[in-house]
Amino acid sequence: MKQIWLITLSEWGYWLRSHLALGSVLIFLLLSIVTSVLSASRMDAERHLRTHQQTEAEETFLAQPDRHPHRMVHYGHYLFRTPAPLALFDPGLDTVTGQSIFLEGHRQNTVMFSESASSANLGGFSWLSPAMVYQLFAPLVIILLGYGSISREREAAVLTPLLALGITGHTLIAGKALALLSFTLILLFPLIVSSTFALQAGESITTLVSIFSFYFVYLSIWVGLILVLSTLLQKRSVVLATSTGLWFILSLVLPSIAVNIATGNELATGKIQTDLAMLSDIRKLGNSHNANDPVFQELRVNTLKQYNVERIEDLPVNYRGIVAIEGEKKLTELLNRYMDERMLSEKRQDNFISSFGWFTPSLAISFASRAIAGTDLENYHRFQKEAEAVRFNFVQGLNHAHAEKLSYQADINRNKDDAAFKRARVDASNWQVLQSFNFQTAPLSHRINNASSQIGMLLLWLFAAFGLLLWCGGKIKP
Amino acid sequence: MSTFNSVINEVKFTSRDRALWFWIALVFCLSTLSVGFGLVQVDRQNQTIQHLLEADEQERLSLSKKVKSWGSAAYYNFHLTYEPPSDFAYASMGLRESQPWKHRIRMLALEGQIYERDVGNPSVALIGRLDFAFFAAFIFPLVLIMLLYDLKTGEKTAGRYALLEATAENSATFWLLRAGLRSASLYMSLILPLIIAGLIAGTELNKLLLACLWVLGYTIFWTFLCHRISAWRKPGSVILMTLIMIWVSTAVIFPASARLAIDRSSPIPSGADILMLQRETVNDAWDLPRDVTMDAFFSKHPQWSDYEPVSSSFEWQWYYAFQQVGDQRTEQLSSAYLNGRLQREKSATWVSLLAPPILLERSLQSLANTDLVSSVNYEKRVRTYHKELRDFYYPKFFRNEPFDKSELSNLPQFVPGK
Repeated sequence: MKQIWLITLSEWGYWLRSHLALGSVLIFLLLSIVTSVLSASRMDAERHLRTHQQTEAEETFLAQPDRHPHRMVHYGHYLFRTPAPLALFDPGLDTVTGQSIFLEGHRQNTVMFSESASSANLGGFSWLSPAMVYQLFAPLVIILLGYGSISREREAAVLTPLLALGITGHTLIAGKALALLSFTLILLFPLIVSSTFALQAGESITTLVSIFSFYFVYLSIWVGLILVLSTLLQKRSVVLATSTGLWFILSLVLPSIAVNIATGNELATGKIQTDLAMLSDIRKLGNSHNANDPVFQELRVNTLKQYNVERIEDLPVNYRGIVAIEGEKKLTELLNRYMDERMLSEKRQDNFISSFGWFTPSLAISFASRAIAGTDLENYHRFQKEAEAVRFNFVQGLNHAHAEKLSYQADINRNKDDAAFKRARVDASNWQVLQSFNFQTAPLSHRINNASSQIGMLLLWLFAAFGLLLWCGGKIKP
Repeated sequence: MSTFNSVINEVKFTSRDRALWFWIALVFCLSTLSVGFGLVQVDRQNQTIQHLLEADEQERLSLSKKVKSWGSAAYYNFHLTYEPPSDFAYASMGLRESQPWKHRIRMLALEGQIYERDVGNPSVALIGRLDFAFFAAFIFPLVLIMLLYDLKTGEKTAGRYALLEATAENSATFWLLRAGLRSASLYMSLILPLIIAGLIAGTELNKLLLACLWVLGYTIFWTFLCHRISAWRKPGSVILMTLIMIWVSTAVIFPASARLAIDRSSPIPSGADILMLQRETVNDAWDLPRDVTMDAFFSKHPQWSDYEPVSSSFEWQWYYAFQQVGDQRTEQLSSAYLNGRLQREKSATWVSLLAPPILLERSLQSLANTDLVSSVNYEKRVRTYHKELRDFYYPKFFRNEPFDKSELSNLPQFVPGK
């Protein structure tokens, strides 16, 4: 054990004497701290802005004057997607997905206005985030510090005397691994900076600990891989070249190939295509603006029977409102079915891409990181579903007001003259049916659950890398 | 003659380098993969467009029973607008991943419709595909670096450096030749799949040539850079890390900070504000006296101001007038949004001059019509088309022309860009 410590300490001593090692670590720390602070301040501003916009939209809706309730159904409402607290570390899909959605009756709209659509186009890497710094660049620093750990000793011809002294290959490797692992903890320091900001934004400590440990596992995988290469390959320069090659293949090439295959494989059906496919189904549901649409014949009979009257004029409720309620309900069921299908196909594509995490840990960590941060596809879908729930609720709330608070006579005569037009209104207090919306990230257990297969991938990579290392340790010969 | 001999010798020497063959094979495979999937993607998008066109046509046919007036025809008829992928899009999907290139619009206020985004899976846009532009601009330099950084230091460790320096007639040309041969072979393996795919896709020849030229310039840039840096009397690791640092700075750090700076220096209005203002205007119109809306409408469209309203109840003329007024009200915000994006694009062009990877990627995007300018042009075409629709219907509305279904076959057709 003491030997391991000595080896670890001497490795640290070597790094501290090396300008290259010190320089690269300093650059990395500087880069990640600057990115973290910038990203935190930007996300903070973004959160405030969207929360403010949300409040404003709600106030505007509630401040609408007395109106015909169906006017409010078409007037609609806006929802804004507030970013997750950890978006300041890993913005994930936040920048490429829309930020606001318009809700109205009879329709499900798309989420509009993504940041990436209006920002200066300077390549994918210009969306540098603290998470990206870790996923892409931390491995480079580890390569730089670790590539020589065994091969250096071999080239300097120190390896033979070391082993002759009775230090086993396993001890040597354990010492070097310990040095590199303790070093990765230093690399992870800026993550604590981001976490402090996220804590202030309302994220729980458990989440922060779990994201920290994920990144530690990810970087440990790289530590294992680099040590394996450093042990197996004879020359330092070959180790450096091989590990750098491995770095860009694993972190740049493979993820984008995964996307190529996924999009070539399955065509995620777009919104317009779904809308068109849906139209014939929608037509079968009739036009709920027209209470005489034959589609609603059964509803008419049932309603008359329920209230035990002969004519719809005698109903204690406004029949047009009843039709609106029924129409919206049927339509929403249909829209939701298509929405679910669309989301499912997106999810399948997403899963396909993420399954490439078995081949590259950098995809595994990026998916795990987004899942834990709450900036993944799941989260985006949840926003759309929650938005849909809000939509359905206020539309039906208004339709109920239409059925119960507005007389049938006033309603059908609304276009007769100006006075009749003004009579066909309900009180603005009915607009209170709108729920206040505050989009929250899913509870941690959900998020961990979403990352479960990525956790499996990362652990497998970890075991594979260190298992290989263990095997290499036994093979170190003078 | 001796120069020729030394070239031949160098070619022989280079061809025996197994590492080089590995990288050549890798570049060739990845380049083939990128353009191959690019062709598939282009095909997919064309299929989607074809499918949408058919579905749209079907929809219009089944609607024709429903429409009974000019107003309802304009209300119910949606029109498909789209931008097909260009003949070079297989090399660079660019902004087609995140910017809409298809819409279904109708005669209602356009501002409410034009920002609809039907762009597919956000995960795809986030991770980004391996298209040729990405591969050539970001990954290819890394391969060049890997092959060129230790030309000298490698020989030094192998103990041949002094000998080579002594036997070469001109040592500077010798090293440049060695580096040049390697880059040239890599360049060929990169560009060959692009050209073959270009022939398959029927790409315009000058586009293809330009692309080859851009990539050539880019390859020369990195070769020269590697050549210069590797002349340092420093260990190979320092040289490699310096080169990688240059890559990181020009591909990541500089573009990232420039993007933040540009976005901050040219602010744009929030998109949601455009929509809200438009929505408010359109909705308020229901409660306003009709004259207010009609006056606002006639002020911009005096040719219809002699129109006399027919009835006091709902009429389509008024309905479409307030839709138009909704667009009028947001015109300022909307053009600020557009100009802001164009301003950012302009700054990005300048900035990219200092970041070669970005410059190459953007140049290829502009050749492939997948840059912001093309996207804005598409948006303009949609706007023009929407205006044509209005020009078609307005005379019918405001001259009270009797409804004639056969006239609908004269509806303006959307013409996609070339």
